Amino acid sequence: MLRNITLNHITKIEGHAKLDLAIDNGKVTTCHLSATEGARYFEGLVKNRKFYEAHEMTSRICGICSCGHVVAAVQAIEDALGFQPSAQTFRLRELLTLGERIRSHATHLYFLALPDYLGYESALAMAPTYKAELMKALGLMKIGNAIVKLLGARDLHPVSATPGGWLHLPSTGELRAVAKELEKAKKDAIATCSLFASLTHPDFDSPSEWFSLKHESEYAMLRGDFHSPRVVFECHKLHDFVREYHEDYSTANFVVVKGGRQYMLGALPRLNNNASQLSKDAKAMVKKVRLRLPSSNPYHQNLAQAIELIHAIDHAHDICSALEVTDEKPPKLSPKAGHGIAAVEVPRGTLWHEYTLDADGMITYANIITPTAQNLLSMQEDIKRVLPSILGKKKEDIVMDVEKLIRAYDPCFSCSAHFLEVNWDEH
Amino acid sequence: MIKETTRKKGRADANPSKAKPLIGVFGITGCAGCQLSIIFNEDDILDLIDLVDLRAFPFIKEVNPEEHFDICIIEGLVADKGDLERIKKLRGNSKMVVSLGACACTGCVPAYRQFTLKENYEHLLYQKMEEIQDVKPTPIDAHIKVDYYIPGCPPDKKQILAFIKGAVAGRIPKPYDSPVCIECRQNGNACLLDVGKPCLGPITAGGCDAVCINGGFECWGCRGPTKDMHLDLMIDILRAKGFDDRFIQDRMRTFVGLKLPMLEKVMKKTSEVNVTFKGMPAQRGLP
Repeated sequence: MLRNITLNHITKIEGHAKLDLAIDNGKVTTCHLSATEGARYFEGLVKNRKFYEAHEMTSRICGICSCGHVVAAVQAIEDALGFQPSAQTFRLRELLTLGERIRSHATHLYFLALPDYLGYESALAMAPTYKAELMKALGLMKIGNAIVKLLGARDLHPVSATPGGWLHLPSTGELRAVAKELEKAKKDAIATCSLFASLTHPDFDSPSEWFSLKHESEYAMLRGDFHSPRVVFECHKLHDFVREYHEDYSTANFVVVKGGRQYMLGALPRLNNNASQLSKDAKAMVKKVRLRLPSSNPYHQNLAQAIELIHAIDHAHDICSALEVTDEKPPKLSPKAGHGIAAVEVPRGTLWHEYTLDADGMITYANIITPTAQNLLSMQEDIKRVLPSILGKKKEDIVMDVEKLIRAYDPCFSCSAHFLEVNWDEH
Repeated sequence: MIKETTRKKGRADANPSKAKPLIGVFGITGCAGCQLSIIFNEDDILDLIDLVDLRAFPFIKEVNPEEHFDICIIEGLVADKGDLERIKKLRGNSKMVVSLGACACTGCVPAYRQFTLKENYEHLLYQKMEEIQDVKPTPIDAHIKVDYYIPGCPPDKKQILAFIKGAVAGRIPKPYDSPVCIECRQNGNACLLDVGKPCLGPITAGGCDAVCINGGFECWGCRGPTKDMHLDLMIDILRAKGFDDRFIQDRMRTFVGLKLPMLEKVMKKTSEVNVTFKGMPAQRGLP
């Protein structure tokens, strides 16, 4: 018996994607997960633009990761120019990225993932029964947004970060006020962990290798090497270990590491690789909720995000309560020819920006690899792997299980609709 | 104690009432940032669903019937055939269509492709399925009638809310058409043009509280040109600051190029007249 299942518009994810499944006599013969976003060609748009314009344009790739794109672009440009930012600049970039992580995780956990577990069609439909939970979500989103707005001047697509430093600085007093708010938000992050730990996560073992940045002195976010438990890659050698390829059914690329292996990025891989560097309370929470690390179950991404909420709040609090802001003006950077790469841990995993500049500071080449593009193969293969065990179920329950798995990865298909040079074979 | 279940239950409107306007929020090709801006109204979003029947919002809802909407809010630009079909269908199903954000209103950064050399991006092109075949990147009103615009990349989240609340009460907010400079001065910012930055505030419609300039960053024009802008003067000022014509043209076209069809002509005309502003030192505009 042949069954075809097509999910044309997968809901409650960022961007647009579809899934085509064909099952023949209990065997999965087709499983295509594809981005159906229109093409935007950002890497082509920044060509022939000035080095200091890249971040403002590429942040438009994604709303929910716009801070990550700005920081990655700015750091890649600085790398190309051979510039080292000051310690304060770096700390504030961390804070901007943490603000984004807090609001992104809170939005994903409560608005996109939780309704699946509680059997509601949306978070809004949960409102009458679960108002207290939603208020926690909105409170966490609010503190994340407040951090982004304070540093970046806007809620989305922040503008104050620039190659060299910051065009506008928060005052020390403003940071201390945020620290107070973070203290209040902490209990909501802890409650979020308890909530997600109380949910039943389906058992599943993904063969994907988990990758994240890793740095000797911190829970890596803006610097470090690209790690899995088996290998370490130096970020500058990106093209030696990552290969992109294209399938005609999608506007997103698939990405594999050397040897053609699928890999997974995001909160869970970060915990798997770097749990020993979490904040004290986040570490205690891992123990309390009995999350056994490393975990190869992608359904644990949700719980991992909840734990990262605690860590992000603690880390942001450390910065906001200790940093004495000095009035540093960004230096005027002189254009010069160069090539730069930056990798940044954004909510969904490792984001890569790469630029080549000519002697006038014009961008001659740009390449951006987003976390969702890198997770795509892993997601698709995991769906293929989970299907045989759930084929006995009703179609709507199969769809629900598959959607739950996709959402656990927290995909962002707006981001992943990204393009590269492809030699197209007609066949 | 929270109970898990696998059955879908509950709609967004806990107390359905016929009087509530039916609202749909959809995204076509874009970054989802404008839709996020709606739910980032943390203090008000739960009240909003008491006020309207949020019937469809696929970004955060599983069940999204495409019925006859009183107001259909669309984020994103038309970049492929699927987008085009989708907005035509939504237009047919809606009394009022609202363009939400710069992509929907002006085409934003992705539509800048229309002004770049094909060789910049042709190596990125490849064959695609029929439904995701490219179309020229364009704002929504290039294809369907749009009744209201909420500009900005992203729009001010409170303005989105103000529009929905106003529409429900029958009082739709008037578009803001004064230049960004008005709010910028009110906020006490130093003029960025004075320090040699290529700020497009003088020709750009405000209503954004000059957020970018508050953050030390020059205006790139994301909310679109004002009706009575002095494009020629703006070009002359930027030239006097030392910016070359190519830079000026690229910068002005980044967010709103399709709304400045006269740009090339004005640039040509002004270069012939060769007006210079005295007292403004020419500087390279590096940050």
